[in-house]
Amino acid sequence: MKENPYQPYVATIEDTWYETVGDRAVKTFKVTLDDPEARKNWSHRPGQCAMVGRLGIGESMFCISCSPTEGDFLRFSVMRAGKNTQGLHEQEVGDKITVRGPYGNSFPLEDWKGKHILTIGGGIGQAPLRPIVEYVKANLDQYAGLTMIYGARTSGDLCFRNEFEEMMKRDDISCHLTIDIEEEGWPYKVGFVPSVLMEVNPSPENTIAITCGPPIMIRFVLENLKKLNFADEQIYTTLENRMKCGFGKCGRCNAGNLYVCKDGPVFSYSTLKNVPEAFA
Amino acid sequence: MDNMKLAKEKVGDFLAKLGKERFRVPQETGGSSRFAPLNGESSVDFTLSNTTVPLKSLFYPQTETLYRYEVGETAMKAPGEADEMIIMGVRPCDAKALTIVDRLFSWDPKDPYYLGRREKATIIGLACQEPRVNCFCTSLGGGPASTEGLDILMTDLGESFLFQPLTEKGEKICQEAGDVLVKSEDSDVQAAEKVHKDAASKIVRKIDSEGIPEKLPQLWDSQIWKKTSEPCLGCGACTFLCPTCHCFDIQDEIEGLEGRRYRVWDSCMFKEYTLHTSGHNPRPTRRERTRNRINHKYSYFVDKFGVIACVGCGRCINLCPVNVDILNILSQVKEAL
Amino acid sequence: MADLEKLRAVAKETVSRDDVKYLIGWRQGTYGFRVSPHFITEPEEADKLIFSPLCSNNLATYLTLVEKLPVPRGQEPDTRKIALMVKGCDSRAVVQQLVEQGIKRESVIIIGCPCQGVVDLAKVEEKFPAVLEQVEARWDDGKIVFKLSEGEKAVPREEVLADKCLRCRYPNPVTADTLLWEKVEAESNDEYADVGELEGKAPEERWSFWEAYFSSCIRCYSCRNVCPMCYCEDCILDRLNPTWVNRSNNISENTAFHLARAFHLAGRCIECGECERVCPVNIPLMKLNRKLTKEVREKFEYEPGTDPDSKPLQASYRPNDQENFIL
Repeated sequence: MKENPYQPYVATIEDTWYETVGDRAVKTFKVTLDDPEARKNWSHRPGQCAMVGRLGIGESMFCISCSPTEGDFLRFSVMRAGKNTQGLHEQEVGDKITVRGPYGNSFPLEDWKGKHILTIGGGIGQAPLRPIVEYVKANLDQYAGLTMIYGARTSGDLCFRNEFEEMMKRDDISCHLTIDIEEEGWPYKVGFVPSVLMEVNPSPENTIAITCGPPIMIRFVLENLKKLNFADEQIYTTLENRMKCGFGKCGRCNAGNLYVCKDGPVFSYSTLKNVPEAFA
Repeated sequence: MDNMKLAKEKVGDFLAKLGKERFRVPQETGGSSRFAPLNGESSVDFTLSNTTVPLKSLFYPQTETLYRYEVGETAMKAPGEADEMIIMGVRPCDAKALTIVDRLFSWDPKDPYYLGRREKATIIGLACQEPRVNCFCTSLGGGPASTEGLDILMTDLGESFLFQPLTEKGEKICQEAGDVLVKSEDSDVQAAEKVHKDAASKIVRKIDSEGIPEKLPQLWDSQIWKKTSEPCLGCGACTFLCPTCHCFDIQDEIEGLEGRRYRVWDSCMFKEYTLHTSGHNPRPTRRERTRNRINHKYSYFVDKFGVIACVGCGRCINLCPVNVDILNILSQVKEAL
Repeated sequence: MADLEKLRAVAKETVSRDDVKYLIGWRQGTYGFRVSPHFITEPEEADKLIFSPLCSNNLATYLTLVEKLPVPRGQEPDTRKIALMVKGCDSRAVVQQLVEQGIKRESVIIIGCPCQGVVDLAKVEEKFPAVLEQVEARWDDGKIVFKLSEGEKAVPREEVLADKCLRCRYPNPVTADTLLWEKVEAESNDEYADVGELEGKAPEERWSFWEAYFSSCIRCYSCRNVCPMCYCEDCILDRLNPTWVNRSNNISENTAFHLARAFHLAGRCIECGECERVCPVNIPLMKLNRKLTKEVREKFEYEPGTDPDSKPLQASYRPNDQENFIL
């Protein structure tokens, strides 16, 4: 982080592509910091976030959707929704954006070594889970296994579909894709993520479950994880709230007494169950 | 250092000796008051009661440029160093509020804008003699002559002001003033103590905050929040004019070929404050926003920084257009605990 | 004459109805001369309702300020009525909201309180500073009587009433489902003397007048939020995409804000004066609004909120409308 925490780094878009199309299209950006010194000093962990923006338009908080194991770059998957995301969507390869961070805590992936990792994602909520998947994939021999459940409203709303389909070919990873409503030619599961979770019926033994998605999905996933006998300490999620500074000054991202930007964004359910605002 | 005294007719000399351009004093503009640079006139009106806009606006202005850039370019230029300030006539509650906000802005990573100004400011407080009806500073560890956050405490003794230097910065100012200040007598200090005591005895409104920080979140689903927020208009008067409220928004703005990214006061009472771009709002109504405002001040801030983020200045009560009264809310909270 | 027994009885009867969601009236505030809006759902809560010279709040704003949460799937929207106590000026706000179709007539019950004028708190608190005890007040033959602990104090109404009340032409509700007591007499005609005074000044003088006020604006938006006519769901001041008014606080943006609001209220402002009353930095906003009100009245003979069957000014055209202001 810079000495003036408000001042961002300038970064260049190396590659960009659409994950989904439509009004709320998701576009992924692969960027590198321009300053070689900054690039050298930058280090982030899966689960951390960064403020990404364009000068003259504004900046917003996004999770860093790549694992440091993937290389010397950053990835952000941005859903077009407001002024800043619209501004980012207009950007192409070679364009300059601003990045500051990394912010927040991260998934305790070191502590989870030897355990089975289960990710349960919905829609754009897969973006913060992706670094876990990539990190565990890169160190698969150190974990007991990797299971992924990912769903979206329609097949057109699925992010990272190619990556998932590649992983489905492997027999050392268990991967389940689902969409809410039946579509012609869809070869995978149909049904809401929480129901698919019950269908997959993962064992809670030596397993950590991490979920992220729309609030309503998270609520039912948590209920079902309890039904599957997961203990509170075995369940993790990453929260998102409107943020402006990213480091505990601007005030707005709190859920109860927790600042999502500093205490989070990663929380275990054993912490969050006592914070009613966390699921508001 | 010894206590000193400034004769009232020498206030002008004092300002001149130290350099008028360094001073910030209470000033009225339009229909309200705030701290501002001395403008031409030789003297200052210290009879104004607490300013409408709290002292925080000098350290953390409503709008603050974080950095500038030229449109189409990527070089960013942060503003230069802060000016040195001698702030005179600060009410003790406002100074105490700064010591509370300091904790947040010093929390890692440090805020260079706020702390830069803090470092270069000397604060000369003025003990209150006529507390207002809604002052309740004594309930929160302050008082009409509280010295927390001050470099010098000034007390009006009628013909003169007693100067009690409290810090090195304060002593330096007294030294710089030279013979404009004279040594005070023991009787002056006694007189000041009487002024302080009389003022404290005029403070009527109170709240016993014991137990509130720990237990407040337990009242999450209480009817208190619905009932007390019903008249709320959702405006930002209570938060913008609170000396400890510090929330801000960050925006970009372009004028001609120059752009800037700036921060600007924001309020947890506005619906946009927590509104997600998706349209989802975790605090959808004024009930949740009121609950957050009180919880933030009286519980969350204590949790993080060990102090209640309220100094009892009474501005939010005085200026609320619909009589949402924090003391009334807190007394309902106490009853419900 | 304000009859509290009648007022409370009507309120009790009203909130007992199955088709009424809640009733909004006034109650004594937490200290001094303050009054607070009182939302009641239970008959027993009606005992706290008051009507006195302290009841400044225009409660009509709560008809449009209400936050509508999405109706959960499988549930019917709550269509019960909101009952509202109104003074003459407040009723004009309701009428204008109806004329603009901001609210539906069948969704409100209007309880009319003919009014002899409410106080300007600044004037009262100057006369009786630092009063913490809850003070009641009443009208008494050209005087306002305050019930203080040291005894009753009667003050000539001219000394404490709000300026808007001293020139009030609509002390009686323009429309009401129930009128609580007999009507009162209106003040003599409003000559817009305050506006004329500003109009008589040179442009530079006028600008320096407004500059001092606008530069001290803190953009808390209490004026907008309290205004019963400011009820756009998507206010241009909040919009970021596109940004019409920057959030930065400076004379340029602040002026843009106040002028935008004033123009959006042209032919709509019903002169309840709430914006000026609530402003924490005391900007005389009614001078701005009344300038436009005066223009509208002179040029189009239109007075908003006085006729439930009229059309909004900007949605109506008459062949004899003046056009000389079009350049």
